[in-house]
Amino acid sequence: MADIDHRAELAKAGAHVTTRWDKLVFFARRYPLGAVGAVIMLVFVFSAVFADVISPHDPLQTKASASLAAPDGEFILGADMMGRDMYSRIIHGARISLTVGVASILLGGSIGVLIGLMSGYLLGWFDLIMQRLIDVMQALPLLVLALVMAATLGPSLENTIIAISIPLVPNVARVVRSSTLSLREMPFVEAARAAGMSEMRVAMRHVLPNILAPLIVLFTAQLGAAILVEASLSFLGLGVPAPHPSWGRMLSESAAEYARVAPWLVVFPGLAISLAVFGTNLFGDALRDILDPRQRS
Amino acid sequence: MKRTIFRVATAVSLVGLMLSAEAALAQKSGGVLKAYHRGTPPSGSIHEEATNSTVSPYMGVFNNLVMYRQDIAKNSMDTIVPDLAESWAWNSDGTKLTFKLRKGVKFHDGKPFTAKDVQCTWDGIQGKRKAKLRKNPRKSWYKNLESVSTNGDYEATFNLKRRQPAFIALLASGYSPVYPCHVSPKKMRTHPIGTGPFKFVSLKQNEHVKFTKNKDYWKKDRPYLDGVEWTIIKSRATRVLAFIAGKFDMTFNVDVTIPLLKEVKAKAPHAICELVTTNVSTNLIINQDAPPFDNAQIRKAMVLAIDRQAFIDILSEGQHVQGGVMMPPPSGVWGMPPEYLKTVAGYNPDVAGNRAAARKIMESQGYGPNNRLKIKVSTRNIAIYRDPAVILIDHLKEIYMDATLDTVESANWYSKVGRKDYMVGLNLTGVGVDDPDAAFYEGYSCGSQRNYTGYCKPEMEKLFEQQSMMVDQEARKKLVWKIDKMLQEDAARPMIDHRKAAQCFQPYVKGFVTHVNSVYNNWRLEDVWLDK
Amino acid sequence: MGTYLVKRFSLMILTLIGISIIIFVLLRLMPGNIADIMFESAGFIDPAEKAQIEKELGLDLPIPVQYFNWIQGVLVWDLGYSYVSEMPAVDELGPRIPITAKLAALALGFSVLFGLPLGVISAVKQDTPLDYILRVISLSGLSLPSFWLALLILMFSVHYFGDMPIYMDPPDNLWDELLLYSIPAAAVGFRSSALIMRLTRSSMLEVMRQDYIRTARSKGASENSINYHHALKNAVLPVTTIIGIEAAFLIGGLIITETVFNIPGVAHFLVQAILVRDYPIVQSLVMLIAIVTVLVNFAVDLLYAVLDPRIKYAD
Repeated sequence: MADIDHRAELAKAGAHVTTRWDKLVFFARRYPLGAVGAVIMLVFVFSAVFADVISPHDPLQTKASASLAAPDGEFILGADMMGRDMYSRIIHGARISLTVGVASILLGGSIGVLIGLMSGYLLGWFDLIMQRLIDVMQALPLLVLALVMAATLGPSLENTIIAISIPLVPNVARVVRSSTLSLREMPFVEAARAAGMSEMRVAMRHVLPNILAPLIVLFTAQLGAAILVEASLSFLGLGVPAPHPSWGRMLSESAAEYARVAPWLVVFPGLAISLAVFGTNLFGDALRDILDPRQRS
Repeated sequence: MKRTIFRVATAVSLVGLMLSAEAALAQKSGGVLKAYHRGTPPSGSIHEEATNSTVSPYMGVFNNLVMYRQDIAKNSMDTIVPDLAESWAWNSDGTKLTFKLRKGVKFHDGKPFTAKDVQCTWDGIQGKRKAKLRKNPRKSWYKNLESVSTNGDYEATFNLKRRQPAFIALLASGYSPVYPCHVSPKKMRTHPIGTGPFKFVSLKQNEHVKFTKNKDYWKKDRPYLDGVEWTIIKSRATRVLAFIAGKFDMTFNVDVTIPLLKEVKAKAPHAICELVTTNVSTNLIINQDAPPFDNAQIRKAMVLAIDRQAFIDILSEGQHVQGGVMMPPPSGVWGMPPEYLKTVAGYNPDVAGNRAAARKIMESQGYGPNNRLKIKVSTRNIAIYRDPAVILIDHLKEIYMDATLDTVESANWYSKVGRKDYMVGLNLTGVGVDDPDAAFYEGYSCGSQRNYTGYCKPEMEKLFEQQSMMVDQEARKKLVWKIDKMLQEDAARPMIDHRKAAQCFQPYVKGFVTHVNSVYNNWRLEDVWLDK
Repeated sequence: MGTYLVKRFSLMILTLIGISIIIFVLLRLMPGNIADIMFESAGFIDPAEKAQIEKELGLDLPIPVQYFNWIQGVLVWDLGYSYVSEMPAVDELGPRIPITAKLAALALGFSVLFGLPLGVISAVKQDTPLDYILRVISLSGLSLPSFWLALLILMFSVHYFGDMPIYMDPPDNLWDELLLYSIPAAAVGFRSSALIMRLTRSSMLEVMRQDYIRTARSKGASENSINYHHALKNAVLPVTTIIGIEAAFLIGGLIITETVFNIPGVAHFLVQAILVRDYPIVQSLVMLIAIVTVLVNFAVDLLYAVLDPRIKYAD
C-alpha cells in the first residue's frame, strides 16, 4: 500500500526515476525541509555511533585547571565546572539521546504492536480490557506518568527508557488495532485465512507489513518526543543519572548556576536538544507526506 | 573553680551589654527582613531535625539556656553567654552544672517559662517523656547526661555521669533550644512556640516561612526587625539570580558556592559576602563488612589514591581546606595544624608517589592493568554529593579500580546506608558545634545513630572519654589531634575536604555576623536591623 | 444519544477506577517511603522510630485497606493529611489549583491566539515562502525544550533588565497577576501554539479541497470570505479536539515552567511531593489531573457528537 502511493507520488511529479541517487535528489527537491531534517538526523546518528572516535576528550575526564574554561582551541565549546570538555560531552550526549529514543521505540513499539494486533484480532473480552488499559494510560499526561515511573523505578538509563516507552504503547496499540480491524475484512486476508494459514501467521505475514507506514510515522514522532522527555526528566533530576553526559542533565543544576559566568554551559546543550528534535520533526513531516498522504500537513 | 567560671560568665555578659548599649544609638527599628530559603523546612521542631533548613529560620523562635555570642565570628568556650540562664556554675567535681534562670519570661502563648520547661526539654531528648519526639538526632550528644533536676521554678541542674567541661558548648548551639513543657511534639513541628524574639506565623510548602516580631520579648528593645520572611526557591540558579536582581536582603545560610560567589561579586558588587568554613566535610564511608573493602589493604590503597588538592581545586577553585575530623585552623579551634596534618598517612602531597604505592598494594592483592577491580561508588543524587563522587571515580582509575556511580534518591539514601547496602559511599557530614565531644560522639562512637559505618573500637572510646574529661583545653587539643590522626589512618571515614561557602547580604543589613566555625549558631537575628 | 451517553459515561468511570488503582500501586512500589524521607533531615534512620511513624500514618496497613480508605476519602473530598506539613491535603491543594488553572488558561489563550491565525495564513498561502517560514517556526516551537526556553528568558531578563519574572508574593491586583503569569504562560504556550498552528493548517487544507468550498467559490464568493467563513468554521471542530488534548499536555509543560519560575501551583507541588513521597498529595493530585483529562476528553467527545452529525452514537 505504502509502496503504491509512493510510486504514484513520484509519477505524478513527472520525475524520471531510475536510480537510488535520482530518488534522493527527487526527495530533496520535493521535500527540501525533509532533506534538511535528514541531514541533521544523519549528523546526529553519526555522532552517536562514532562518539568515541570523533570526540577530542574523554567526556568524563575532570581537570581542575580547565574548570569553566571558555571556548577556545582546546575546548571548542568550553568546559564545565569540573573541567570536562563540553564538545565531547555533547557528542556523547547524542549517544544517550539516541539510545533512549531508539530503545523506547523498540520497547514501547513492540508492546504496542502486540497489544494492538491481539486486540484487533481476538476482540472480545481481551480487547475490552486492553482498551480500558489504554484509556487509563492516555488519561495521564506523558510527563506526569514518566515522572511517577522514574521516581518509582529510580534514576538509571534502563529505567528512563522504560518510563519513556510506556506512553508510546497506547498510541501504537490504537493505530495497529484500527488498521487490523479494517484489514482483517480485506479479501486478501480472507483468502489467506481460507487457504488454511493460522491466525498468527496471517497477522504476521499480511497485516503487519500493511500497517508499517503509519507505524514509521509514529516512531519518528516518538524519537523526537523521547529526546525531549528524556531531557526534561534529566533536567528535573529523575532521568539518566550522572556521570552519563545527558543533554538534559547538563542543563540542570550546576550548568544553570554558572549560566552567567559560563553561558556556553546553557547554550550548547540546549541547542543540541533543539536541533536534534527539530531534525527529527522535519524528517518526520516529510516521511508522513510520502507514506501517508491522507494525513498531509 | 566554681567561682572563677561564674566570674568569667558575668564579665563576658557585661562586655556584651556594654557593646550593645553603645551600638544601640545608631540602630533603627522596623522593616521585614526578606531572605530566601533553599527548600521547605522538614518541620519547625529544631530538636527533631539535623538540618540548616530548620535551624536557620526557626532559631529566632527560641532561646537557649546559654548561647554563642552572635556578634563574634569564632565560636569557642570564651564566647558562650547567658540566654535564658542568667548564670551557671559547676560543682567541685565537675558533674553538676547548675543554671540560675531568668524570671518573668513568657512563651509566645503567654505561659510563663520555668525550670520545668528545661527539665522537660532534655527529658524529651533522652526519651523519658510520654510525648515522644518522632526523631531524635542528637541523643548521642547527651550520652553523659544522667538527668535534669529542678530546684524551685528558677534553678535547673544538669547531672552528668562523669566530668565533661565541654557540655556547656553543646547547650550553646542553635540545636539546643528550650521547648515549652505544655506543647505537644506535633504542635512543635507544625507551629512551634518558644520564648524567642520572633513568633512563627505560617509555613506554606514550597512558598514561604514567615515570622513576626515578638512584642513581649524579654530582652528590651529587641528584636529590631518587624519580622522575617523566607521565600522558598528550590533551584539554586534561580534564587541566586534573584538575590543578584535585588529581590532579597539576604541569601540562605551560606548558600553561595565559590563559583557562584564570583558571579555575585561581578553582578552585585555592593553585596556583602563572607566566605567561611561551614563545618561540613566531604568524606567517604566504607563498608568494612563486605568485599572488597573488608580487605584492609584495599582500603589503604583507595585512601592513597585520593588527590585531595585536586578535589579542592575543582570543586572550590582551591578554597576548601584539607583536614581531619575536626575543622582545621585558623577557623576551627580543634583541627590538626598543617605541619601535623602532613604526618598523617595519605596526606603527603606527593600524589604520584602515593598512587605508585597504592598500585603496589593492589598488585600484591592480585589486581593489575588487566585485572581491574570493579566497584560501585554510591552517593546521593544531589550535585554537592555527585560532583566529588565523579572526581573520586576518576582518581580510582589510576589504581586499577573501575568504579561506577550509583546515585541514590534522597528518599532511599539513609535506609541504604543503614542496611550497609554499599561498598563505598560519598558522604557529607555537618557538625553543629565545633567541639570534639559533638564530632566524636556523633560520628565515631559505638551505638551512635549517625555513626553510619558502625565504627566501634574500645580503645578509641576510651580516648574519646579521656579528652572529654580534660579541663585543660590546651592539653585536650593535643590529645584531640592524636585521636584525629588515628581515626584518619584507620580509614574510619576518610576525609576529603572541609567545605567553604559564602553568606551574602545587602549592605543595608546590619548587625549580622557570619560565624566561621559553625553555620548553626548565628541565626537568632534579634540584633539585625535594616539601615534603609 | 441517551444510550451513547450512558455507555460513554460508564466507560469513563471504569477508566478512572483503573487509574486510581495504578497510581496507588505505583506509589506503593516506590522504594523509600515518607518515613525514610523524614529521617533524611535527621541524618539517620532509627528502625523503631520509623516503625512508629509508619504506624501513625497508617502505612503498616495492608495495601488494599489503604486503597479503600483513600477512595472513601476521595468520594467525600477528604484527601487525608500531607505527611510533610501535617495539614489537610485539601488545604494544601486548594489554594494552588487556581494558580495553575490561571496559568494554564493564559497559556492556552496564548497558543490559540497565535496558533489559529498563523495556521489559517499558512494554509491560505500554501507552498509560498511565507508558508515555509511559518512551518519552520512552528516546528521549532515543537523542538525547543520548554525548560531551556524558560532558563534563557530568566538569564536575559536579569542581564538586560536587572530583574526577573519569578514569583515572590501573591500579586496584589489583576494587572500584576497578568504581568507575572504572562511570561511563564508564553513559555509554555509556545509549544502548544505550534501544534495548534500545524493542525489548523492541515484541517484548513483538507476543508478547502472539499466540494462545498469549490461550490462556494464557483458561486462567486470572494476568496477572503470563503477562507475565513466557510473553511475556518469547519476547521474549528478538529482544532477543538486538539485543544482538549493539549490541555492535558499543558500540565506536563507546566511542571517544568512552574519549577523554573518558582510559581506555587499544583504542577510544581507535584514534583516536590513525588520527591518526598508525600503519598496523600501525590495520589490525590495525579488523580485530579486524570479526572480533568478524562472530563475534557469526555466533553470534547460530546461536543463532537453534537457538532458532527456523521458520528454514530451507537458506536
